[in-house]
Amino acid sequence: MEIIIQGIKEGLQLIFSMDPKIIHVTLVSLQVSLTALLIAACLGIPIGAALALKDIPGRRLFLNLTYTFMGLPPVLAGLIVYLFLTTRGPFGQFQLLFTPTAMICAQILLGFPIICGLTARAVMSQRQEVYDTAVTLGASRRQAAWAIIRESRMGIIAALTTALGRLVAEVGAVMLVGGNIEGSTRVLTTSIVLETRMGEDSRAIGIGIVLLLISFSIIMIINLLEKRSFKNDAGIQIT
Amino acid sequence: MTPVFKLHNIAKIYGKREVLHIDQLTIPGRKIYAILGPNGSGKTTLMRVMALLTRNDTGTVDVLGENIRWGKEQLLKLRRQMAMVTQTAFMFEGTVYTNVAYGLKVRGAPESEIRNTVENCLELMGMSAFITADARNLSGGERQKVAIARALAIRPRVLFLDEPTANIDPQSAVEIEHHIQFINREMGTTIILVTHNLFQARRLADEVYFLWDGRMVEQGNAQNIFDHPQDERTRSFLSGETVF
Repeated sequence: MEIIIQGIKEGLQLIFSMDPKIIHVTLVSLQVSLTALLIAACLGIPIGAALALKDIPGRRLFLNLTYTFMGLPPVLAGLIVYLFLTTRGPFGQFQLLFTPTAMICAQILLGFPIICGLTARAVMSQRQEVYDTAVTLGASRRQAAWAIIRESRMGIIAALTTALGRLVAEVGAVMLVGGNIEGSTRVLTTSIVLETRMGEDSRAIGIGIVLLLISFSIIMIINLLEKRSFKNDAGIQIT
Repeated sequence: MTPVFKLHNIAKIYGKREVLHIDQLTIPGRKIYAILGPNGSGKTTLMRVMALLTRNDTGTVDVLGENIRWGKEQLLKLRRQMAMVTQTAFMFEGTVYTNVAYGLKVRGAPESEIRNTVENCLELMGMSAFITADARNLSGGERQKVAIARALAIRPRVLFLDEPTANIDPQSAVEIEHHIQFINREMGTTIILVTHNLFQARRLADEVYFLWDGRMVEQGNAQNIFDHPQDERTRSFLSGETVF
């Protein structure tokens, strides 16, 4: 127990002393995970909404595949991206392996199914009366679809926060395609692995605290941005 | 005058069950028409077919003089001349203003016109004080009034009301009935009222259509039907003998 308390103390000291290495890995982590989240959201939200609202051929199969990939092991996602980016792979000529771009690709592969699948679920859970109300007030199909998506935004925000949580905390894929290169592809999670292996427990705990603070801060920012959506989210009152 | 609705040989089938079968129905318009019948008699299905929300499996539907071909543009054009208020009156996330303004916004109306119309409609319904209130925090009666104001904002030629006072207190129900009469009388809006509340139908309706097991068993002047029902099933329903 003493080791843990000592580790937390030293970890906090590292944070407050603004250790340049910790700052760098924090910035790389943020850059990789937020970029991946943004791209996955740009693809996942419209595709998820379309799957929920349109009777596209193969829709059920695509949804089932999406739900399956929501639990994709990060190492497997890393392996898929690795096989595509390795020098013998189809995109080997671009020499992207062991760069932040490769890490972003792997994280998109992890984030997209979560955002797409949960968006589809959120949109499908809306009641028929949302559509009926919109069209009987004169909305076109497109406008009514947009009304349904707007009504689903709490679920979509939940999808984004779930995906972000997975991306920031993910270690297997970024380790495999990033290589944990200091000053380039080293991120918070891979740093924790490295520091622990080197016996630097306090540094590992310090980085862990930073990781937790980042996750918490990002989720707080998203919630604040969508404050209006959560205004009525008082939950179920159990008396 | 072209009838507002003309249905011919309409059927709606869910699975193997035919829930609606109307041989002939013509609604001339401008009055209050009540569709009456016990639960499961097909009232709401009939209303949804007329409101172009549910597609009929057989037969033809004419709405506002146009034969319905279920094309996107035709549906949008005709739906924009109708509005609906349901029993639970779904409210979009946002304020009362946002909700009442919705129909005008989707039509691309200018903001100044939207504000004026919203204010007028809320005033008419006695809901001006709630303009900035969260629409989802309203009581059942207030919600129904906002839903009617929202429907009125688009000045519909036809207003469908599906059990509009089913879940609200008697005082609010009386107020809403007054508003319904006012909208019909002063604005010339055709009202299609779906209800199983006989007293309400008697107070409001000019014409009554009585459905039983998906079929129209009696129709005509409200007073005549209430005082002298011809069909045995109508008599049973009106006398309260029908067991649901």
